[in-house]
Amino acid sequence: MTTTTVTLVRLKLALLRNGLRGSTGRRAAYIATLVVVLLVAALQLIGLIALRGSTHAVTLCVILTAVLALGWAVMPLFFPSGDETLDPTRLLMLPLRPRPLVRGLLIASLVGIGPLFTLCLAVGAVIALAHGAAAYAVAVLAVALTLLTCVALARAVAAANIRLLTSRKGRDLAVLSGLVIAVGAQVVNFGAQKLGSSGGLGALDPAGDVLAWIPPASAIGAVDAVSHGSYGVAAARLVLCAAALAGLLYAWQRALTRLMTSPDGSTLQAAEPTRRRRTSRGPRLLPDGRTGTVMERALRYVWRDPKTKAAWVTSLAIGLIVPVFNALQGTGSIYFACFAAGMLGIQMYNQFGQDTSAFWMVAMTISSPHDAYVELRGRALALLTITLPYATLVTVVTTAMLGDWRALPEVLGLSFALLGAMLATGAWSSARFPYSIPQEGYKNVAPGQAGLAWISIFGGMVAAALLCAPVIAVAIWLHVSGAESATWLLLPVGAAYGAGITVAGLRLAAPRTAARLPEILAAVSKG
Amino acid sequence: MTEAGTEAGAPAVRVKDLWKAFGQSVAVAGIDLAFPAGKFIGLVGPNGAGKTTTLSMVTGLLRPDRGTVEVVGRDVWRDPVEVKARVGVLPEGLRLFERLSGHELLAYTGRLRGLPGAEVDKRAAQLLDVLDLSGAQHKLVVDYSTGMRKKIGLAAALLHNPEVLFLDEPFEGVDPVSAQTIRGVLERYTGSGATVVFSSHVMELVESLCDWVAVMAAGRIRAQGPLAEVRGDAPSLQQAFLELVGANSRDTTSDLDWLGGAR
Repeated sequence: MTTTTVTLVRLKLALLRNGLRGSTGRRAAYIATLVVVLLVAALQLIGLIALRGSTHAVTLCVILTAVLALGWAVMPLFFPSGDETLDPTRLLMLPLRPRPLVRGLLIASLVGIGPLFTLCLAVGAVIALAHGAAAYAVAVLAVALTLLTCVALARAVAAANIRLLTSRKGRDLAVLSGLVIAVGAQVVNFGAQKLGSSGGLGALDPAGDVLAWIPPASAIGAVDAVSHGSYGVAAARLVLCAAALAGLLYAWQRALTRLMTSPDGSTLQAAEPTRRRRTSRGPRLLPDGRTGTVMERALRYVWRDPKTKAAWVTSLAIGLIVPVFNALQGTGSIYFACFAAGMLGIQMYNQFGQDTSAFWMVAMTISSPHDAYVELRGRALALLTITLPYATLVTVVTTAMLGDWRALPEVLGLSFALLGAMLATGAWSSARFPYSIPQEGYKNVAPGQAGLAWISIFGGMVAAALLCAPVIAVAIWLHVSGAESATWLLLPVGAAYGAGITVAGLRLAAPRTAARLPEILAAVSKG
Repeated sequence: MTEAGTEAGAPAVRVKDLWKAFGQSVAVAGIDLAFPAGKFIGLVGPNGAGKTTTLSMVTGLLRPDRGTVEVVGRDVWRDPVEVKARVGVLPEGLRLFERLSGHELLAYTGRLRGLPGAEVDKRAAQLLDVLDLSGAQHKLVVDYSTGMRKKIGLAAALLHNPEVLFLDEPFEGVDPVSAQTIRGVLERYTGSGATVVFSSHVMELVESLCDWVAVMAAGRIRAQGPLAEVRGDAPSLQQAFLELVGANSRDTTSDLDWLGGAR
């Protein structure tokens, strides 16, 4: 091995080792991740070996390999900070030629948990498929090709997109990656259920046949082909995989060369002509003064700030999915519709944490409890412009699916009361338990503030439930006493109660906010 | 410019026995300051001297452990209504609302300050023009360069025409062109009788801009007064500063005898 390679492998080992340094919490998380990954890898290996001889083994192996390769391709886009050696711009200043650099980085990137996991899968797959001496010989080649192709794929994608990854848009994308994963999990879940109902793995065989020709799964496919004596097919599949690897390495080297010889994009960006954005305030629907100003900024942030957007999309989606899916499965109760109000009410929590350290701009303009009251009220109103119609819509949709129109006013009333209670407790805990929301990555709590976040959200939710108790009690009493024709009364009662309790909550939170401005700023500036 | 709080002789900023500790480390150890009104005032010191901590406490963004701060004759912590309306701040290391465009940020800040909408838009347009940001006014602040951020922060701090302006490292990481623009605006502003207090560790800049300096090191004030007085007999403020903070005696060359030697 050349010195470059040795140095890069050492660097990778040092980075892995350094994962064990730092705070106890981080070390525990690192070790836990390691153990879980190794455990899953081992179980997968055993499971694949157990599949040996099964008719559908080849389908499963090929699909698993393809999914894993997809993971390798996507990972650098979503978690650019996951592997620091992925960013070639860090090595730009060193006097290195692309070819030794590519070789060194490729070998260095075989060190790590991800490659180990991939190795376990590939080994398991070939053991499940190989029958006969020739197949075993091909298997060794197939494992090496699979591993190298996966690693090269990740590197090539990272190098080609490094401009995107180091830019603001790329980092925004990374923040939204949690959503993609959540949606992906739903799709997988749906697919698995569909498989269960349509009679097993046989349904996947056509997909497996196609994937067996796509690198790096084609290397695994080649092992299967040799086992069945189709040497021509096997050779073609192997050559396909090798060609793909060569192509990836070439693309990667070209991207590296381009990166090393062209100017840094970060300075070019500032000189770009600005795209004209429509900022005319138009016919203003929002009220004047501080209220409208605060609402306008809050609503702009829902759309423009990736963290806020992710939180909102999650709340909106879960608030809809829970009642509607329950209704679809026929197990639902109309009262689940209140879930939407509850989920959206969570957005009122940690208002100032959502500002990050930019909260100082707000703090400089709050000099009395009244200022703080108007500020909090503006934020609550911004929230209501989305929440109120949405909660109503979800309730109406759920009601329509269950056909229980008589219960609609009652459930709406309960929703509004719950929303009011969430806004009230949210405002209060925003003032009392603020915490930082880190702007990079997918974490929503800064280290050391997790306890604070739990107190803030769960304490607040319990308090909100308690605050709703009077309205819930009225609902139960109306049902028990047989006065079900009067349940429509809950709509005005719930709405009035919700509005009243919101105002009370804001009034309580305002003096606390005004008195604790420096403490709030310190708490939200940690991210 | 209202002159109520800045009558002749009354200091724009008066600090008495100000203390702040973070855990074990004392960031500001009992400082007293008196900055005259209508002057360009520099707070200088090496990194970690406590400049940012001091400015944060003076502007009401950080609660002191002990001591009093008066700005334009009013106590910052007891009378925030009067003080916050009369000061402008550009802190260091704190974000802006970066997902707003430059223009939107100014519109937001001005309206939050309680200025009428039309007036805010007029002032914002002029400030953007003077600070050479008109071309980027519809771009999100998150995409601004360091110099542009400092300039938009300065515009936001000036929007309500404050009596005293506090700037923490306004020239840090700023290119010479932007620095000259910022300088021009600040000079015009102090010319009208307003007070500018800014922190820096670039002595040449402080020397060329300020009438009055306070030298800070390790949480204490080493010297304060008119520039000529602090400079004393030293050939430059840089020399005077190095002597004041006791960094002149260190000989850094003896250990690096290989540097610049035979290659």
